[in-house]
Amino acid sequence: MNPAWMRQLTGVIALEWKKTFLSRRGWWVYLLALGPVVLTFLHSLIRARNQGGHSLFQDTQIFAGMFELYFLRLGIFFGCLGIFSNLFRGEMLEKTLHYYFLTPMRRELLVVGKYLSGLIVALVLFVASTGLSFWLIGRHQGAAWSEFLQHGAGLSQMIWYMVVAALACVGYGAVFLVAGLFIRNPLIPAAVVMVWENLNPFLPSLLKKFSVIFYLKSLCPVQINVPPPLNVLVTDTDPASAWIAVPGLLVVAMLVLAYAAISARRVEISYGE
Amino acid sequence: MAVYKKTYRPYEGRLTASWSRFLVIRRYAFEDLRRSRFLTVFYLASFLYPLIAALIIWVQHNASALQLLNLNGASRLVPINAGFFMTVLGWQSMLALFLSAFVGPGQVSPDLTNNALSLYLARPFSRAEYVLGKLSVLLILLSLMTWVPGLLLFGLQGYLEGWSWMTDHARIAAGLFFGAWIWILVLALLALSLSAWVKWRPAAGALLFGVFFVGSGFGAAINTVQETQWGSLLNISNLMGTVWVQLFEGNDPTSNGALFFRVSAGGHLPVWCCWAALLILCGICLSMLSRKIRGAEVVR
Repeated sequence: MNPAWMRQLTGVIALEWKKTFLSRRGWWVYLLALGPVVLTFLHSLIRARNQGGHSLFQDTQIFAGMFELYFLRLGIFFGCLGIFSNLFRGEMLEKTLHYYFLTPMRRELLVVGKYLSGLIVALVLFVASTGLSFWLIGRHQGAAWSEFLQHGAGLSQMIWYMVVAALACVGYGAVFLVAGLFIRNPLIPAAVVMVWENLNPFLPSLLKKFSVIFYLKSLCPVQINVPPPLNVLVTDTDPASAWIAVPGLLVVAMLVLAYAAISARRVEISYGE
Repeated sequence: MAVYKKTYRPYEGRLTASWSRFLVIRRYAFEDLRRSRFLTVFYLASFLYPLIAALIIWVQHNASALQLLNLNGASRLVPINAGFFMTVLGWQSMLALFLSAFVGPGQVSPDLTNNALSLYLARPFSRAEYVLGKLSVLLILLSLMTWVPGLLLFGLQGYLEGWSWMTDHARIAAGLFFGAWIWILVLALLALSLSAWVKWRPAAGALLFGVFFVGSGFGAAINTVQETQWGSLLNISNLMGTVWVQLFEGNDPTSNGALFFRVSAGGHLPVWCCWAALLILCGICLSMLSRKIRGAEVVR
């Protein structure tokens, strides 16, 4: 890569990640990431005092449910919506985007730089939240939990959950960056994506594959079934294997980002509209 | 006329009665909303389900139509009872959430962003009237979507079934009216307070969804992780479901709520707790509004 491009890219990332991390507008994203950590910490604390409750197996099942229903469907989804759609739209609102557009820098670099800065923030918040929550949920088991993490399936499960959280940030991040760049109200595509992603278990096998959540769920180490009575509507589909799901998600995110980068060349800004 | 003769002259036109001044805001807001083709289409489409429900009621009371459609057992298939009306209300209330997410955030935030609030409050117009005016936009739109079609359906069923059915099932009508009003008030206050605090309209809309969906998800996570049912206090649909079941069916419920507003398994809370939680939510929204709706803002 051209050294000047590299310098510009690191410059954009350095500027943006501070703005995104320390944004007053983004306080609720911290809450989304912090919520499960507080919850699992309290769980550990209460169980340790009461000396009883869930078994090790139950704790991993509970985390699997929380990861799929809270992290994937809500926390990371809304968190990425807040972080990535704000990268361009926030600058438009503050009427500062033209400063970037006036610099002698390729627009593609600006898009990639902003995406990477948003991704750093999302990864730090949600991957760390996932790892910490998993680590905390079974702390009350004491030595059994440490044994499970060090010599059992625990560490592998934790790493897979963190990988899935990271891939969710990559996928949803690319989608919401494009939404923030081209659509004045990113809420409309967000609502459409949310409905589509939540309908996923009930869609025919072919349509299931046109969603992010299908590949993310396939990678989860513990599968959670839809509870009754909705389970009768679920269509059974074989999960995608890891060697398809991981590169597939990355390629789709890259394609979406490439489209945004190329389209950004022609973007003109008029704050008055 | 010489410039020195242009002295102060008070307004001499007809004054709007003080009790109805808040309606001026509603008038202009409706003009703005009418320009959005998306909202107009969405609003009209939201009446599709009540129309289908009316058709079901009519078909069930029309023997020749039932014979023609070969649906003689249809009355057993779709019973017209509290569950039927709760489902209508549940569906319409979910559409009301979507409408509020689009309409609500645009009510207060533009006035705050453009420092226009002082222009309102410099006139003989109080903060309460301002909030009431903005609220009335949502209250009217949401009423027309929820309890008005609900009561019309109840009236149709009563007309076809007879007066005795209406008197026997008066509780359903009360449930439709009061159940819808609680939801409308919660929704309108939440939308306005988020609009006042989050100046970017889409973000305020997303937060409204967030409070509803993330709250329910996080509440379910609390219930599972802590083996309790108190996490359901964060689940607005669970709170509404509990209140609706009590309003529609009294103290001996036979169902667990309506479409989208169900009492989740393991989420049973005392009814008074649900009422209290909803009231506290409304109180928080009002205090958030009271902090932001001011004629002058100190910027540090």
